[in-house]
Amino acid sequence: MFLIRTLHKWVGLILGLQFILWSFSGAMMALLDTDKVSGATSVREPAAVVIPAAVLPLGQVAERIGQPITSLRLKPLGSAYVYQAATPTGVRLIDAVTGAPLAIDAGRASALATADFSGAQAIASVRRITEGDVETRKLPLPLWRVEFADPEKTTLLLSEATGEVLERRTETWRLWDVFWMIHIMDYTKRESFNHPLIITVATGILWLAISGLILLFRAFRPSDFSYVTEPVARTRAAIASRRR
Amino acid sequence: MRLPALARTSHKWLGLLLAIQAVFWTAGGLYMTAVHIDIIHGDRLVRPIPATPLNLASLVEPSALAAGAETVRLETQLGRPVYIIGGSGGSRLVDAQTGAQLSPLGEAAVRARADAHFAEQGEIVDAELLSEAPGELRGRPAPLWRVQYEGAWKPTLYISPQTGELMAKRHDLWRTFDFVWMLHIMDYETRDNVNNILLRITTWMAFITSLTGAWLLFYSFRRRRRARPAKA
Repeated sequence: MFLIRTLHKWVGLILGLQFILWSFSGAMMALLDTDKVSGATSVREPAAVVIPAAVLPLGQVAERIGQPITSLRLKPLGSAYVYQAATPTGVRLIDAVTGAPLAIDAGRASALATADFSGAQAIASVRRITEGDVETRKLPLPLWRVEFADPEKTTLLLSEATGEVLERRTETWRLWDVFWMIHIMDYTKRESFNHPLIITVATGILWLAISGLILLFRAFRPSDFSYVTEPVARTRAAIASRRR
Repeated sequence: MRLPALARTSHKWLGLLLAIQAVFWTAGGLYMTAVHIDIIHGDRLVRPIPATPLNLASLVEPSALAAGAETVRLETQLGRPVYIIGGSGGSRLVDAQTGAQLSPLGEAAVRARADAHFAEQGEIVDAELLSEAPGELRGRPAPLWRVQYEGAWKPTLYISPQTGELMAKRHDLWRTFDFVWMLHIMDYETRDNVNNILLRITTWMAFITSLTGAWLLFYSFRRRRRARPAKA
């Protein structure tokens, strides 16, 4: 028991700070509303749409794309319909009715972002992202980053290839992400929780928890529970000692 | 109460309330960090299906099949081009060369699709059409085909009868992770609500417990340092 107490103390001294950080960051993540973290509260439901009658025939689609097509989508994009073709050199978009090639530029990205955002606020900034950071994580680049002027600074990350909204970030997410970083101990990319540092520390802290559990059996005396086991006698004794 | 006694008493009573959960948190945390997430996701259970060029000229026009639909996807399944047509009433699968509707898929078609994905050795043990998504597939649209393979970790693939697509892959390492995750976030019903009140209370109590531990540490080590000069 002495050895367990000593080891509990020393592991606590060396790794205890991480236990404090884990419980604090965990408590904060439990406190932050997941819908605000994910930005789900600002998603605008798309209106029901139907494929237009006069879509381009497949023969012409193949011609306009001009490359081998491995898969094809006919989907709404903003106010129009597009064919989205996967080719060996990347994704191509053409207007599904006129066949005109379509690129996601700043203007189109802004319009698509606005259509997906339920708030009334205007766009604060539009940027093309070619280098990844903690906000874009592992999303395929390049991306369009459209930030709105709402209190949450809601930011939509859209694929330049397909125009799809791949991710949304909010101020709540940015705060949550700091606690996530502390929790998973990946201080640069905030991505991986499978690294030697966290596995080593988790092993030590597991010992801290187990040894703490064992020490409990030594830490309590029957008198600690006298309020439960002999409530009347214990209360009388307490009152008597206070009178004295 | 003197301060060291207060630190000790608070740490021990909070510890009594939290010790088991602390063991769950740290043991589960160790499992989640030690087993790589790609293994948990079962990436090695399936093989990538190579993208082959489509011959668009031989296909039925999507406009002829998808009147009133919202989206159409043209893909290859089992080497044949298919349309996955989506709309307000759900999805359906159509043979892109003949225009014949394939969905809802029967058992043989589902087994063939599962085998095309499955990357490991082993035969199908059981294939069953589920009318409700099982617990390990919460939130996914039903019906679903569950295809179980032989193997130590009970690999299982889920195929949609409406689209023919692989919806999810599961195995015992994933199931263990999910159980451990349930203990970690203390949501014993849906296993996905990290904002539940029990977790919020318990995590703050854990934070206080760890602070009282640090406080107690201060006395534990100081007392010894005092003792040494006394001996000398």
